[in-house]
Amino acid sequence: MMRKVIAVILLVLLLFFTAHSTGNLHSPPGKPALTSCRSPEKETFTCWWKPGSDGGMPTSHALYYRKESSETVYECPDYHTAGENSCFFNKKDTSIWVNYNITVVATNALGRAFSDPVEIDVVYIVKPNPPEKVTVTVMEDKGWPFLRVSWEPPHKADTRSGWITLIYELRVKLEEDNDWEMHLAGQQKMFNIFSLRSGGKYLVEVRCKPDHGFWSEWSSTSYIKVPDYFHREKSAWILITVFSAFTFLILVWLLHMNRHNLKHCILPPVPGPKIKGFDKQLLKNGKSNEICSALVMPDFPPTASSNDDDLLVEYLEVYIPGEQELVLEESKDLHHGCLKSESSTSDSDSGRGSCDSHTLLTDKCGEAKEERRQTDQGCSQIRTEAQRRPKDALTYAHGDVVSSNMSSGRVKTWPSVFSPLPRYSPSPLDQQSSLQMAKQHSLSTSSYLTQPGHSAKEALGQSYRDFCLSGKQPHLLTPQTLVSRKLQAHSDVNISSIGLKRAPAGLRSPALRTTEYVEVQRVNNEDMVLLQPVVSGCGRMEGCFQVPQGEVYSKVKGVDSDNVLLLQREGMEEDRCPCVDQETNEGTGNCHTLNTVSNTRKPSACIYTAMPVEDEMAPIVNGYVDSANMCTLHTC
Amino acid sequence: MAHSRGTNGSKLFTIVLYMVAACSSIPISDLLDRASQGSDKLHSLSTTLTQDLDSHFPSTGRVIMPRPSMCHTSSLQTPNDKEQALQVSESDLLSLARSLLQAWEDPLVALSTSANTLPHPAQGAIFNKIQELQEHSKSLGDGLNVLSGKMGPGAQTISSLPYMGGNEIGQDRISQLINFNFLLSCFRRDSHKIDSFLKILRCRAAKMLPEMC
Repeated sequence: MMRKVIAVILLVLLLFFTAHSTGNLHSPPGKPALTSCRSPEKETFTCWWKPGSDGGMPTSHALYYRKESSETVYECPDYHTAGENSCFFNKKDTSIWVNYNITVVATNALGRAFSDPVEIDVVYIVKPNPPEKVTVTVMEDKGWPFLRVSWEPPHKADTRSGWITLIYELRVKLEEDNDWEMHLAGQQKMFNIFSLRSGGKYLVEVRCKPDHGFWSEWSSTSYIKVPDYFHREKSAWILITVFSAFTFLILVWLLHMNRHNLKHCILPPVPGPKIKGFDKQLLKNGKSNEICSALVMPDFPPTASSNDDDLLVEYLEVYIPGEQELVLEESKDLHHGCLKSESSTSDSDSGRGSCDSHTLLTDKCGEAKEERRQTDQGCSQIRTEAQRRPKDALTYAHGDVVSSNMSSGRVKTWPSVFSPLPRYSPSPLDQQSSLQMAKQHSLSTSSYLTQPGHSAKEALGQSYRDFCLSGKQPHLLTPQTLVSRKLQAHSDVNISSIGLKRAPAGLRSPALRTTEYVEVQRVNNEDMVLLQPVVSGCGRMEGCFQVPQGEVYSKVKGVDSDNVLLLQREGMEEDRCPCVDQETNEGTGNCHTLNTVSNTRKPSACIYTAMPVEDEMAPIVNGYVDSANMCTLHTC
Repeated sequence: MAHSRGTNGSKLFTIVLYMVAACSSIPISDLLDRASQGSDKLHSLSTTLTQDLDSHFPSTGRVIMPRPSMCHTSSLQTPNDKEQALQVSESDLLSLARSLLQAWEDPLVALSTSANTLPHPAQGAIFNKIQELQEHSKSLGDGLNVLSGKMGPGAQTISSLPYMGGNEIGQDRISQLINFNFLLSCFRRDSHKIDSFLKILRCRAAKMLPEMC
C-alpha cells in the first residue's frame, strides 16, 4: 500500500518536472549556416541558409551583406521570392566581378547568432535552369530510324548576346534499362541518336552548363517509341541462319563420307616390323637366346624341290694341291648378309645374282674388311686355320668366315685354293675336298647360324644349328685347337668315310693344279655342299680372288698373328686376303661372335707382304699352315 | 614587245594582289572564336590552380587575405553587370581585354619565380601550370593584337596597369602563400573578364550564325 503511494507520487513529480523543463528551457538561437548561393543567369542570385536551433523561442533570421569595395552593410532585399530561409538578390542588387560578404544572423528573444561569413563572386556560382522545350522525334535515314532531340536554352539565360555561353548534355536510355547513355552536345541545340532497337521505348533528358559554372538539373523526361522495323532485320538473320546451317550440314556429311581417309590422314597407321618369320611377340617377351633361336627357321635351307630360286649361291673354290687344301667358302648367307647390310631382309633374293661374281666377292671382301670392326655380334666367325698336320692328312680349310652379321657386309672371299673340282662326281680326293668344303661350309654356316639377331640367320637351317652347337667350343684359344675340334665335330659327317689321309697326297699333285671355280649350289640337309662348276670368269678383284683360269690359288701363305689365314696365288707374291677370323665366344652361348679383325687399314683386299713362295712352300707343302709359322704374314 | 610585257606584268600583279587579299582576310568571327577558346582555356587553368592551392591552404590565411579591391588591375573600369557590359562598344571591349592581359605579363613572371620555391605540397604541379598560363597568355595577346588591327583605332589603346609587387611575394612561408593565393585570385577574376568580353564580341560578330551564341 505504501509502495503504491510512493510510486504514484514519484510519477506525478516526474511528469511535472518534465513538463516544466521543456517549457522553461530557452536559449539564444543556434548558429545558422549559409548552405549555398546560386545565380541562374549571371544577373541575379539567391542564397539559402540553414537555421540552427531556435532555442525554444521564435527566432528570426536576417541576411546582411557587404560589397567588397565599401563598408556599407545591406540587408537582404527579398526573403520570399526564393522560398523559406533564402535571400533573393535581384538584378539591381547584383553586381558581378564583385565580392559579396554575406552573413546570416539568427535572432530570438534571448540573443543573436551570427553565421560564418561567406565570400562569393556571382560569376563563379552560376547554375542555369534546365533546357526547355525538349523535343524528340523519330526520323529515318536510308531505312534506318534515328532519334532527333532538340531543345532550347533556359529562357532566363541570355545566350544570344553572349552573356552566357552554355554547353549541353543529354542522356538516353531504354525504358527497361538502368543505365543511361550520355552524349555531350557542345553548344548545339540539336542531337541525333542512332543504333536504336526497333520497337523500343526511349527516355531522353537534357541538361546544360555555363562555360565556367555548374551543371543544371536534368530536364523533364521525354518519351519516344521507335517503330518496328523488325521484319527487315529478322529476315536477314533467318536467311543467314539457314544458309550457314545448310553449309554446316554439307560439311558434316562430307566429313562422314571421308572419315576413313581422314582417319588415315590424321592418325597414320604405325608400321610394324616386317621380318619374315619373325615373331614380334617373342621379341617383346623373350630373351636374346630365344630370339636368336626364333630366327632360325626349321626348314632352312630350302630344299631343292621347293626353293629353286632361292638357292644360296656359294662359291666354293677348292683347290686340292698336294699339300694343302684350302677351302674357301662363302656361304650364301654371307653374300646375303653383306648384301643385306644396308637393306632389310630380302627374302626373295635369289642371291645368285648378287653374289655371282668374283668381283663382287672381292668388293665385298674389301668392304667386309672395313666393317669387320663394327660387327660384334655377327655370326660367329669360324676361324679355321689350316693346320699342318703331318700326321693327319686332314686338310683344313682355313678361311675367315665372314660373320653372318651381314650388316657388316663382310664377305670375304678367299683366293681359294682351287681344286679342279669336277661335278658332283668327284674323285675321292675331290670328294674329300668337297666334303671338306662342305664341312667348312657347314662350319661357317653353322657359325652363322648361331649368331643371334641376324637376319641372315633365319635362312639357315636348323640342322646347322647342331653344328654350331657341336662346334661350340668353350674358349678355344688356339685356332689350331679350334680347327681340330671342329674338324672332329664334323668328322661325324660324311668326312669320316673319306679317306682323308689320302687327301694331302692327292692334293699335292700338281696335276691338280688347274683351278676351277666351283659354285656351291646349296647345302643340303645332310650338310653336304653341293658344288657346281662356275663357268663365268671373274673380273678383276683386287686383292681377292682374281682368278683367271689356270691360276692356282689357295696357297696358304701363312697365318698371321691374328690367326688369319693368308692365301696366295701360287707363283705370285702377293697374297690374297684371307679374311675371316673366327673366334668362338663362349659368352654367347650357342652362338659365336664374329671377331672383327683389324683390317680397316686395308680396305682393299688384304695385302700381304710378299713372301717368298718358296719359303712357304715347305711348311705349306702339306697344305697345312701352322700358326706358329705365320709370323711373317699380315692380316688382312 | 614591251607593251605586251607590261600588260602581262600588271595582270599578274593584280592577280597576286587579289590572292593575297583573299588569303589574308580571315573573318573576324573566326578570329574571335579562336581568341575566345584561348581565353576560356586561360581561365580554366587559373581555376584549377586556385583549387590546387586551396587544398592545402592554411585556414588562417583566409582571414587576413587582402581584399580583391587591392588587385593592381582594380583601377581599370570594367562593367559590373550585364547591361553595362552590353553597352560597351566592341573596340572598347577589346581594349579592355588587351589591357587586362597586358597587365598580367609581369605578375605572371613573379608568380613563376616564386612558384619554384613555394612551400606547398603541390609545388611542382603549380609551377607547371604557371608556365602554361604564361604561354597561353602570350599567344592570346598575340591574337588580340591581330584582332585589334581589324577593329578600329579604339581597340588599339591599352591602359597601363603596372604591377608594383616586384618578384618577391613574401618573406616567410605564410606570407608567401597568402600573397601567391591573392595574386592568383586577382588573375582568376581578370581572366574571367577577358573571357566574357571576348565571348560577347564573338556573338556580336557572328550575326549570321545564330547557333554560335
